[in-house]
Amino acid sequence: MDRKKLVEFKNVSFQYEEEGALVLNQVSFDIYEGEWVAIIGHNGSGKSTIAKLLNGLLMPKDGEIIVDGKKVDDDTVWDIRKDVGMVFQNPDNQFVGATVQDDVAFGMENRGVPREEMRERIQRTLSAVRMQDYLITEPHRLSGGQKQRVAIASVLAIAPKVLILDEATAMLDPTGRKEIMHTVNDIQESEGLSLITITHDLQEIVQADRVIVMNKGQIWKETTPRELFLQREELREIGLDVPFVAQLTDELRKQGVPLKEAALNHEELLEELWKFNSKM
Amino acid sequence: MEIQFKDVSYIYQENTPFAHKALENISFKVGSGSFVAVIGHTGSGKSTLIQHLNGLSLPSRGEITIGDFRLSADGKPKNIRDLRRKVGVVFQYPEHQLFEETVAKDIAFGPKNFDVKQEEINLRIEKLFPAVGLSEELLERSPFDLSGGQKRRVAIAGVLAMAPEVLVLDEPTAGLDPRGQREIMDMFYQLHQEQNLTTVLVTHSMEDALAYADKIIILNKGQKYMEGSPLDVFKQTEKLQKVQLGVPEVIHFLNQYNERFGTSLNYQYQSMPELAEEIKKQLEVGSHE
Repeated sequence: MDRKKLVEFKNVSFQYEEEGALVLNQVSFDIYEGEWVAIIGHNGSGKSTIAKLLNGLLMPKDGEIIVDGKKVDDDTVWDIRKDVGMVFQNPDNQFVGATVQDDVAFGMENRGVPREEMRERIQRTLSAVRMQDYLITEPHRLSGGQKQRVAIASVLAIAPKVLILDEATAMLDPTGRKEIMHTVNDIQESEGLSLITITHDLQEIVQADRVIVMNKGQIWKETTPRELFLQREELREIGLDVPFVAQLTDELRKQGVPLKEAALNHEELLEELWKFNSKM
Repeated sequence: MEIQFKDVSYIYQENTPFAHKALENISFKVGSGSFVAVIGHTGSGKSTLIQHLNGLSLPSRGEITIGDFRLSADGKPKNIRDLRRKVGVVFQYPEHQLFEETVAKDIAFGPKNFDVKQEEINLRIEKLFPAVGLSEELLERSPFDLSGGQKRRVAIAGVLAMAPEVLVLDEPTAGLDPRGQREIMDMFYQLHQEQNLTTVLVTHSMEDALAYADKIIILNKGQKYMEGSPLDVFKQTEKLQKVQLGVPEVIHFLNQYNERFGTSLNYQYQSMPELAEEIKKQLEVGSHE
């Protein structure tokens, strides 16, 4: 494979306190250019620690992390943060500007982006998240989903190579979640950047290329969403639930309905059942 | 305790240019011992509604009765302290309200304020702790050293330690992982049944409303939009869609299934294996026609 490695974790371990338990234990994985990887796990599995290590908010206790060829350390951390953009869980904690456009401009101002270029990027990134009509809106007038979309635009404006969404939908209502997943889909296609989504909601990993499942600070499995959805019982044991379609597919197979693979959505399952029905 | 709303309206900053009607002519009745889910979008009036249940807000118009308590625009009733003891509210992200040095002190704070004796509080904690899934070793720890899930349980224990008769839950599982969500909801449901509580659950989760509630109230722009049993409410897919609300996934799937196969499978609280069996049978019968 000649795809370029953008992120490398090499035997990374981490603990918050000297004598404390290892939050991450010898974790290794690669993420390639343009790839969408979902990292999932229950609360406390170590998934969010990975995100914080990726842009140098935390430094590994052991092992090394390479982002676009550069090792993450105290000297490179400021460069790394240009390459790694992050959106966090709480929409109310990440607004700095008095208006939507000020907020998107903030990160660029810090990096000395020229004014004309800034205007152009504000337009482009806010359009990408479908918030172009809210340029001068005050943040507190936005819904949670809209706030998170602006947060995504603010990160996109500094043109990172990797975008990390760390449970960015956890505090949103179902509408807000859909908005964000839709947006993420759009920009992954249009911007061609690497995307890391961290979540415990398996419904949100359906479109990812690859899934890394964390359990007790270690990688429990690296696989595809389709493969993962077949492992209902095992996932339940580590505190995760497969989505409804995967559960129903599993039960139908147990009853002897010969469904070939795990369905990712209703349409796929209905199609499989339709085929089964016409064969009988 | 029975809860009744009669033509309740609530207006924020009434008689100012900023006046905003958050609730408009809301009437409903929740029988003692029932479990009601209140559903609606952000801004639909859900939070305003639950603030009325323990007198944090008083109606601008209309009247609310909760057991023997009566709330109206006439001002706070004299016995509002008793009402607040009997109506326990678990707000969103309740762990943000932890503040004491130890878990035991934090839980005791509420009941102490209502003059419950320390021995009685200890007895309650003894009973409560296993119920909320905490071990007694944690009692002398600082609440700030606990994990997110444990903090949430401690905060919930603090509300339960007041021995409320009405339990109001504002999105109690937000931010928890799937196992945590299931454990917390099962715990509330068990308490609801064992202690014969009247429970009001504010949620975005149609799945939880279907699984736990015997009645659903849907709010839209400050008005009551629908009211009924979960199965009745979720039959009206189109009416829900009009206000951008969905139905639980199992019902949505069965609707799609019926449309595609020309069948009429209904959701009647089947378990997942039962549902699979029904679908299989239906497919077999269908093919022989």
